[in-house]
Amino acid sequence: MTGAARSRWPAWAPDAAIAAAIVVGYVVLLLATVQNLGYARDEGFYFQAAASYERWFDLLARDPVAALQRANVDRYWAVNHEHPALMKSLFALSHQYLFERWHWFGEAGTAYRFPGMVVSALGLGVVFLWGRLAVGRLPGVVAALGLGLMPRVFYHSHLDCFDLPVASMWLLTTFAYWLSVERRSYAWAILTGVLYGLLLDTKHNAWLLPFALVTHVALTQWPRLRRESSVGRVTIPAALLAMAVLGPLVFYATWPWIWFDTAERLAWWVQFHLRHEYYNMEFLGQTYFEPPMPRLYAPVMTLATVPLVTLLLAAAGAGVTGWGAVRRRWHLQRSAALPRTEIEAPALERTALLWLLCLLLSYAPWLSSKTPIFGGTKHWMTAYPFLCLFGGLGYAAAAARLQTLVASWRPRLSGAIPALLAALVLVGPAKMTYDSHPWGLGFYAPLVGGAPGGATLGLNRSFWGYTTGAVIPYLNEHVPPGGTVYVHDTALQSWAMLVRDGRLRSDIRGTLRLASADVALYHHEQHMSRVEFQIWVLFGTVSPAHIGTYDGVPVVWIYERRRGDAPRR
Amino acid sequence: MRGLGWLWLGVPVVGLVELLGHLYFAGRAPREAEWRELRPVIERLRQQDELVIVAPYWAEPLARQALGDGLMPVAQVARPDESAFPRAIEVSVMGQRAPELRDWAEVAVERAGRFRLRVLQNPAPASVGFDFVSGLRPGRVAVQHGEFPRLEDCPFRGDYAPDAGGLHGSLAFPAERFGCGGPDQFVGITIVEDDRYRPHRCIWAPPPVRGARVIRYRDVPLATRIHGHTATSWFLMRDRETAPIEVTIRVGGDVVGTVTHYDARGWTSWHPFEFELGAHANRTSDVVFEVESDDPENRQFCFEADTR
Repeated sequence: MTGAARSRWPAWAPDAAIAAAIVVGYVVLLLATVQNLGYARDEGFYFQAAASYERWFDLLARDPVAALQRANVDRYWAVNHEHPALMKSLFALSHQYLFERWHWFGEAGTAYRFPGMVVSALGLGVVFLWGRLAVGRLPGVVAALGLGLMPRVFYHSHLDCFDLPVASMWLLTTFAYWLSVERRSYAWAILTGVLYGLLLDTKHNAWLLPFALVTHVALTQWPRLRRESSVGRVTIPAALLAMAVLGPLVFYATWPWIWFDTAERLAWWVQFHLRHEYYNMEFLGQTYFEPPMPRLYAPVMTLATVPLVTLLLAAAGAGVTGWGAVRRRWHLQRSAALPRTEIEAPALERTALLWLLCLLLSYAPWLSSKTPIFGGTKHWMTAYPFLCLFGGLGYAAAAARLQTLVASWRPRLSGAIPALLAALVLVGPAKMTYDSHPWGLGFYAPLVGGAPGGATLGLNRSFWGYTTGAVIPYLNEHVPPGGTVYVHDTALQSWAMLVRDGRLRSDIRGTLRLASADVALYHHEQHMSRVEFQIWVLFGTVSPAHIGTYDGVPVVWIYERRRGDAPRR
Repeated sequence: MRGLGWLWLGVPVVGLVELLGHLYFAGRAPREAEWRELRPVIERLRQQDELVIVAPYWAEPLARQALGDGLMPVAQVARPDESAFPRAIEVSVMGQRAPELRDWAEVAVERAGRFRLRVLQNPAPASVGFDFVSGLRPGRVAVQHGEFPRLEDCPFRGDYAPDAGGLHGSLAFPAERFGCGGPDQFVGITIVEDDRYRPHRCIWAPPPVRGARVIRYRDVPLATRIHGHTATSWFLMRDRETAPIEVTIRVGGDVVGTVTHYDARGWTSWHPFEFELGAHANRTSDVVFEVESDDPENRQFCFEADTR
C-alpha cells in the first residue's frame, strides 16, 4: 500500500472496521441460528408488553396530544412495568418497522428479538474497541470473541430480553466514562450521562454502576481529591456529574410509565426488585426457594459455565496487571522516595482497576445469601465483558512471553505465535458454543464434565420453557389434527408466537390444562417433577413418546395419551 | 523467574485440553438409539418383575422411553422404597451407581454397549402380603367421611373428571376414585413428590372438613406388621406450618397405631411408619384407615401402606 493510499483512511478506520465486522458478524450468526430456538417464558411477556407499547407509538404518531394524556400512557405502559422501557420499546419499533412495514423479517418473533441481538452484539464491538485501545488489536479481538463464544452469552444474545443488553449498556456507559476521564473529554462525559440514563432504562443492574465509578474516581484520583478537599473545593469528574444530572432525565424521558405518579411508581419499581420473589433454582442437587441462598452459587456456576481457557486468560490478565502494579509501586517508592499517595497509576492500571470494580460490583449482590438465584448465570452477565477484557490482557501477556520463548528457539516461527495462540484459545469456546445450541442453558463446561456432568452434579438444565423450540418438528409431525398440547413452562404468549411465526402448525392449540391435552410437554427442572408425575396419572404412562436431549441428557420430553384415552375438554 | 516463562505454554495447552475434554464429555452419555437397543437385554434379564433402576437418576426418562411401561411400570418407578423388592437390575452409565442399591449383593453383571447392567439381590427383602395402594378397589374397599357415627358414603366411579393443578396446583386427580363431594374430596391413587422431588404412588386421602376420612379394607390377609409412609406434597407444603394430620389404623376393630404427619418444614415429606400387628398377625381381618386433622383446609395428603 502506498503512502498516498494509506493517508486516505484515518488511523482509527481499521479498528472501526473490525468492530463493525464483529458486531455485524455476530448479529448474522445470531440470526442464522434463531430458527430452532424456542421462545423463553419471559420473552412471551415482553412480546405482550412490546405489542402494547407499539400501539402507543402508533397513537403518538397519529395523535401526539392524546398519546401524552395520562389515561393513554397508563393504558399502554402499565403492562410489565416491573421493568423499564428501552429494550421493549426497541422490540416494539423493530416489530412495527422491520416486520409489519418493511418486511425485512419473515417472523414477528425474530423482529422482536432483533434489537436484543444488535445491542448484545454491540457489546462485543465495544469490548473489541476497549481492548484495542487499552491493550492491542489482537487482544481486543480475542476479548470480544471470548465474550461472544461463551455458550450462555450466545444463548441470551438471541432473546428479546434484557440480560445481555444490560451487560452491553453497562459496558458502553463505562467505556464512555473511561474515555471522558482518560481523554479529559466533555463530549464523552455528556455521552456518559446520556448512556447511563439509557442503562437505567434497560434494567435495574444499572443501580450498581455508580458505586463502581465513584470508587474508581476515589482510588485513581485520590491525590487530587485530597489536595482539593484540603482547600475545600473538590472537582467532581464531569462524567459523574452528567450521570447524576442527565442520567435521570434521559431515564425519565424514555419510560413513559413514570411520567405520572413518578415517585410512587419509582418506589414500587425499586421495592419490586429489592423484595423480589424467590423462584426455584437447583444447585448441586438441591432446589433453593428461600434464603439462605448458597453463597457459592455465583462462583461455582461461573466456573461451570464459562470456558476454562477464557477464565484462565482473565486470571492471567488480572494477575499480570496486579503484579505489575505492585512491583511498580515498590520500585517507585524505593527510588523516588515519593509518598505513596502521590504516585499516579499509569493508564493501564487505572483501566484494569475500572474493569475489576465493574466485575466485582456485578457479582457483589450474590455475596448476600438473601439475593435470589433463580435466573442462573444471567444475573451477573454484566461482569463477563470485563472478564473478557482481562482475558485480552492475559492473552497479550501470554502471546508476548511465548513469542519471546519461541524467538530464542525458532525465530522465524515467533511471528505466527499471536495468531496461533488466538486460534488455540478460541477454538474450544467456538466448538462449545456451536454444540450448545439450542440448549444454551443446559451447557456445562468440561471442567464439570459437560452437560452429563452438570446433570450428575445436580445443576439446572433449563428454565423458562424455551426448549419447546427444539421439539417442534416432533410436535408438528405427531400431534393429531386440531390437537391440544399442554405447554407446561412455555408461556402461552411464547407458544402463540411459535404459531404466528409458522413454526408450529396453526391447528395445534396450547393449553395450561393438562386434563384437556392430547399431548403434554414437560420441561425438566427438579422442582417441576411434580408436573411430570401429574402427567403420569392423567396420561396413564410413565414412558415419554419423545425426549429432547443435549449430549445424551434429557432436557424436554413429550407424553402422549395411551391409545383410546380421550382428553376432557 | 526466567524459567517460569514456560508456564505460559499452559494457556494454549488448557485451550486444547478443554476442547478435547468437551469432545469427550459431549459423547460420553449414551444416545436414544443405544437406549432402545437395551430393551431386549432387559427383557432377558428381568425374570421376576425385578425393579429397574437407572444410575445416574437423571437418565431414567431415557430408560422409561426405551423400555416402556411394561418393563418399568408406574408402581415400580413411583415405588415407596426398595425394601420390598428381592432383586433389582441396575442400568449404569458413565460408571455411576445407584446409592439406594449400595448394600445389595451383585448376582450377575454384564455389559451391553455403553451400559453396565448389574442384577442385584436385596440382602433382606420384605415379604409383602398385601399392598393397600394396589388393593384400593371397590370390591374390597369402602370409603366414608364425616363425623362418627353419621358417616356418608363415598361412591366409587371410574369416570370422574380427572384433573391436575400444574406446578402450583393440586396433585393429579385420577378418573377412578371414591368421590366424597368436592373435586379434591376423594380417595384414589395419585403420585406425590417427596423432598428430593422423587415420585411415590400413594392413596390420596385428605382429611375432610369435619370428622374423618375412613377407608375400610375388607378381609385383608395380614402379615406381622403394617408398614407405610405418609406424605404431603413437598412443593406445596415445604414452607407451611399447619396442624398435623393423624391417621389411625384399626385392625379388626383394634387400634394398632396412629401416625402423626407434620407438614414439610423440618420433616421428611415422605414419612415412614410401621406398627406390629400383635394378635392380629398372620390372620385375615378388616383394616381401617381414619384420616383427620384440626386444619383440613387444602391438605394435599396421601399415604401408602402394606402388610409385611
